[in-house]
Order: sequence, then structure tokens, then C-alpha cells
Amino acid sequence: MIAMSADVQVETTTHKRGSGSVLRAVKRLLAGESFFLNHYTASGAGGDVWLAATLSGDMMTYDLQQENLIVQAGSFVACDDSVNVDMNWQGLKSVFSGERLFWLNLSGAGGVVLSSFGAIYSVEVDGEYIVDTGHIVAFNETLDFKISKAGASWVSSILGGEGFVCRFQGQGTVWCQSHNGPGFGKALGPKLRPRSA
Amino acid sequence: MQSTINGGPAFSYIDVDLEPGESVIAESDAMSSMAADLDMTARFNGGFFSGLLKKFFGGESLFVNEFTNQTNAVRRVTLVQNTPGEVREVQLNGDSICLQPGAYICSTPGLELGVRWAGLVSWIAREGMFKLVVSGKGTLWYGAYGGLLEKEIDGEYVVDTGHLVAYEPQMKLKLQLAGGLFSSFFGGEGLVTRVEGKGKVILQTRSLSGLVGWLNPKLR
Repeated sequence: MIAMSADVQVETTTHKRGSGSVLRAVKRLLAGESFFLNHYTASGAGGDVWLAATLSGDMMTYDLQQENLIVQAGSFVACDDSVNVDMNWQGLKSVFSGERLFWLNLSGAGGVVLSSFGAIYSVEVDGEYIVDTGHIVAFNETLDFKISKAGASWVSSILGGEGFVCRFQGQGTVWCQSHNGPGFGKALGPKLRPRSA
Repeated sequence: MQSTINGGPAFSYIDVDLEPGESVIAESDAMSSMAADLDMTARFNGGFFSGLLKKFFGGESLFVNEFTNQTNAVRRVTLVQNTPGEVREVQLNGDSICLQPGAYICSTPGLELGVRWAGLVSWIAREGMFKLVVSGKGTLWYGAYGGLLEKEIDGEYVVDTGHLVAYEPQMKLKLQLAGGLFSSFFGGEGLVTRVEGKGKVILQTRSLSGLVGWLNPKLR
């Protein structure tokens, strides 16, 4: 939150009113999100809340219509009260996906706000498409991904610096971020002063 | 081949649509997404020895990736540099351009990536002992951290070394103190590059060393 109307009520909870429990907060914590969520409720006259992400990059909104959206946990910013936020397990392959081990599964109906490092672009997948690890923002649940090599051979994939990639299969949309943190870190890291213990 | 630079200028990335049989060569780890049936093969960055020179003295990778479309329809690969910033596309027609380490993103197969001795002084300034020279016929994409500026020079011009991105090969570069001893060390500019000749230089509005200088005191 960067700003809001003075009469908006803020309530910090571990779960959404009337649904779930502390368990859900623990699951969210596992997914790399905060344990607590802030609920912003407008007064009778209505009000505004301004939200911004930590990293520089695009933000996007998505209108969830009784469907599931799998979101890379670091990209989640906010959603309507009517949207369910749950942890999602995509299998051990997530270890290699360049993302966190657990994902968020947003379901129900309502607005969703996501953020990224860099620009967000969408790819309509019909069949197969490759997204490099660390570039996934979100994807429709109708898609499935598996970890595979980028090149014709493993030797080529590893020598070429691409290593693992996520191979999406099915029909749906995957939202990618143009840049990725580790890539920028690789350029910046060697120049940073080592932290004093 | 159709290509567009999107997300710019802050987060530029390059969408390259390859016709059947076409290919594009990109810096290691430049691919952010691609059609699943494109072929990706790693190869030495312009030959084994030249590749080694580039890696150890020019700040470039030992390997580059070649993306080839062996299907019979148009296929897309999306390429990006690892710093946020602007990307520029240039057509080379037998001429060449010199790039500072890290500026190269991708190019068409007709271009050759070579190394040229940049000098000990350049190495002392941490800009690499060799410089990357791209020559031949084709399209080159390079980028920078921040926005890109272009300056036409006839004679002499002084450029902050960390802000230099690319220049035409006939330009002569000389490293020197920014001013006198006092202003060089207390004015924060230190070493600068004196560019001599007639031609273009490309500069970046930000520099990684500037960001690092700002970040370092904040790290605990």
C-alpha cells in the first residue's frame, strides 16, 4: 500500500473472513507470501487504495471468472475479497523452475493484481511452448509444465547457459516477465561488496 | 525475419519471428521464452580461442546460442539482456561496430563477433583487455543499463568510462584523469575516456557501477 483514503478500514488477519484458518496462513507462508494479509474495506462512501510492488516492473490485472490461475508467489499483489488464495503444489519439478517450491492457486471470481520484474507479456499456448526458468509470472490451470532441456541436447543447453527450461503443454495463457532477478543479480553481484558477517 | 523491440525503454525485450530456415544467434541465457519446436544449439563464441579470449578478457560468454527454425511455419523466440534498460537494433552493411563488455544481446548469422586488443589501460579501467567487434552484413541488437544516447563526434570528446556502450571502430579511445588530480579524485569522476576521431558513440544514461556505489553503503 502506498496511499489510501483516510476512512478505509485496514484489518490484518491470517486468513480471509469466514474461510480457512491459520493453516491457510501457514501454507501461504510456505509459498513465500506473507503470513498476514491486509484487508482494506471502504466506508459506505467508497474509497481508494493505491498499491505498488517492490521491484521495478509491470503490474497487471486479471479478471478471474470461476477458474484457477497459478501464480508465482512473488508476483501476487492483491485480489478481491471473493477470490480464494491457496497454496499450490506443482510437484518437485518446481525445484528446477527458478521459482519457489510452492505456487499460489487463485480461484473463484474477482479481480487479481500481479507484478513482475520487467515487462509482462502473455503467450497463448496451443500445444507446446518454452519459457525460461525464472520468467514465469502466472499461467492458466489448463496448462501444465514440465522441466526439460532448452536445446537439442543437454550438453548444448548447459553450455549455452540456458540450462533448464519450463516446457508448457496444453491450451491456455502463460504470462512471462521479460527480465529475471537472478540474471540481473549475475550482472550486479560481482560488483557488490561482500556483507560483513 | 520480423523483429520488434517491446517493453521499452525501461524493460526492453526483443521478439524475433523466424521464418522457416532462418536463425538468430544470442548471448548465453538471453532467451526468456520460445516456441517449443525451435532448435537451440550452443556453440563457441566465434571459434574456440576467440571464445576463450572473449570470456576471460572481454567479459563476454564462452558460448552463444543459435536458435534455428526447422519447422515450416513462423516461430517466435523472445530475447532479453539481463539488465533493465533500452535495446537498439542496428543494420550493418559490411561495416563494423565496437561494443563494451555485456552490451551484446543477439545478431543474425551473417555477422561475425570478433575480438580486438583494447589495451592494458582498458583492462585497468575494468572494461576488458579485449573489445568486442561486430562486423559483416546483418542485424545486431545491443543494449544497456538505462537509456541509450547517441553522440556524433568530430574531434575530441570526453566520456565517463562506465557509460560507454558502443562506438564506431575508427574512434580512438584514451583513458585519462577527468581533470586535475584533485578534481579527479574528489569530484567523483575518476578516470574518463577521451574519444578521438569522427564518428558516433553510444552512451548509457545509467551505469551498474553507479548503482553498486549507491547500494554498497546500504548493505550490512
